[in-house]
Amino acid sequence: METIKAVFDYTLREHIRHKVWLSGALFGLVLLTGGLVASALAQEERVRMLLDLGLAAIETIGLVSVVFLTVHLILQEIESRAVFLILTHPIRRSHYLLGRFLGTLAAVGAGMAAMGLVHWALVRLLGGAGDGSYLLAWSCSFGKVAVMGALSLLLSLTLTSEAAAMAFAVFLWVLGHFTAEMRFLAERSGNPLTRAALTAISHAVPDFAHFNARDAWHAGDLSVGWAAAAALYVLGYCAACLALSVQVFEQKEF
Amino acid sequence: MPGPADAASAVVFRGAGKVYRRSHLGRVTETVGLAGLNLEIRRGEVFGLLGLNGSGKTTAIKLLMGLHLPTTGDVSVLGRRVPDVEVLARIGYAPEAAYLNRALTGRENLRLFATLSRIPGAEREARVARMMDRVGLGHAIDKRLAEYSKGMLQRASLAQALIHDPELVIMDEPITGLDPLAIKEVRALILWLKGKGKTVLFASHDISEVEKVCDRIAILSGGRLARAMTQDEWRGKDSLEAAFASSVTRTDGVGEIRLD
Repeated sequence: METIKAVFDYTLREHIRHKVWLSGALFGLVLLTGGLVASALAQEERVRMLLDLGLAAIETIGLVSVVFLTVHLILQEIESRAVFLILTHPIRRSHYLLGRFLGTLAAVGAGMAAMGLVHWALVRLLGGAGDGSYLLAWSCSFGKVAVMGALSLLLSLTLTSEAAAMAFAVFLWVLGHFTAEMRFLAERSGNPLTRAALTAISHAVPDFAHFNARDAWHAGDLSVGWAAAAALYVLGYCAACLALSVQVFEQKEF
Repeated sequence: MPGPADAASAVVFRGAGKVYRRSHLGRVTETVGLAGLNLEIRRGEVFGLLGLNGSGKTTAIKLLMGLHLPTTGDVSVLGRRVPDVEVLARIGYAPEAAYLNRALTGRENLRLFATLSRIPGAEREARVARMMDRVGLGHAIDKRLAEYSKGMLQRASLAQALIHDPELVIMDEPITGLDPLAIKEVRALILWLKGKGKTVLFASHDISEVEKVCDRIAILSGGRLARAMTQDEWRGKDSLEAAFASSVTRTDGVGEIRLD
């Protein structure tokens, strides 16, 4: 545990000193632009627009940050050969990978939390987001970010080219929003091969339907059980991606 | 030269070979990094590994650090067959360049390696400060490594190799690019480690440095053991430089400089 924490600590420090503050600045810019547009609208619309715009911006910035950081996470240490020195100390490769991943997730999560606090305060000032729904919406975005982080890490170790890993991660992120449609198409398909392929892909790619709190609320499904299922999905998907990443990383020679 | 892995052996290569396979567009190319190396390094000695570029020195070191897996044969370090995570706690490794994370300060960097090397939390901070002082970086302990000069980084790299008081210290080209004063200090450090009963593996191109500090040497050429010598041998009839020149052959495809 202590070795994981040591790697976690230096990863978090490294991100905070390098790049993560940039996402906050970007968020401020998006919010400022959104605020200018929103000020031209009526009171009720202004709150709704600010709420939607802010949450979408937090999620997008979080996703871009986590994909970018996790794809570079190990490849950069291999390129700079810093991984040589780490792995010539008594640390298991799985611990190194876990510490790096958790440190990155914590850095991105801290950035998202800072953006969320500013955004929530602004929305509250205008009279919105009085219940706990804001925290739930933020948590769903963080769940997506965690899943994408684990997937990007796996892609970076499998594909070895940073550009290919990032492009593929973005493609899977988009695909992850259409899992229900893929299953629908699979059911309708007359070709058993197409049906099997679509079903398999719809289960393998991250299923972001698990994080759609708005749809669940409209359907009357929003409950503690729903939230627990979403959290379990995050843990399960991340664990599967990390286990595969460890398998790939254990085979690597430096 | 090879001997059984016993209590007197720090490192044993038994027929250790490494073949690098690269595949590009379905075409596989193979390069021999090390070809059936048999070598024993005894505890408490300073052992020099000499060879040209591409002779297999770094491959041999990577095999014993567990960064590479042997294609044939095996390698034992301090009585344990590698790769073995546990034995790494007893080895200190200083690579040819300081591969350190420049975002960290000197203290944070050394604290990281102290933690990874399982130094108990209660004594970690004192040990980090003491080691930074020992390598002459006490004044820069809270500066980021990005602000360190090349010489300072090399010292920080030595500090991480020695922080856990290892039994075996591996130095891969430790004097490359250092000024004469720093080279003298590294030489003194190697002899100080020997005085404390440590085993030192010193890989270098620099024949004159190797002959000043080593008890025995091995010359690698084309991934093979070309020659092994003791101090008595190179101080006797055969100079180390002459022995080296007669033992190695260029494998990098570069011809000699013509003086006609």
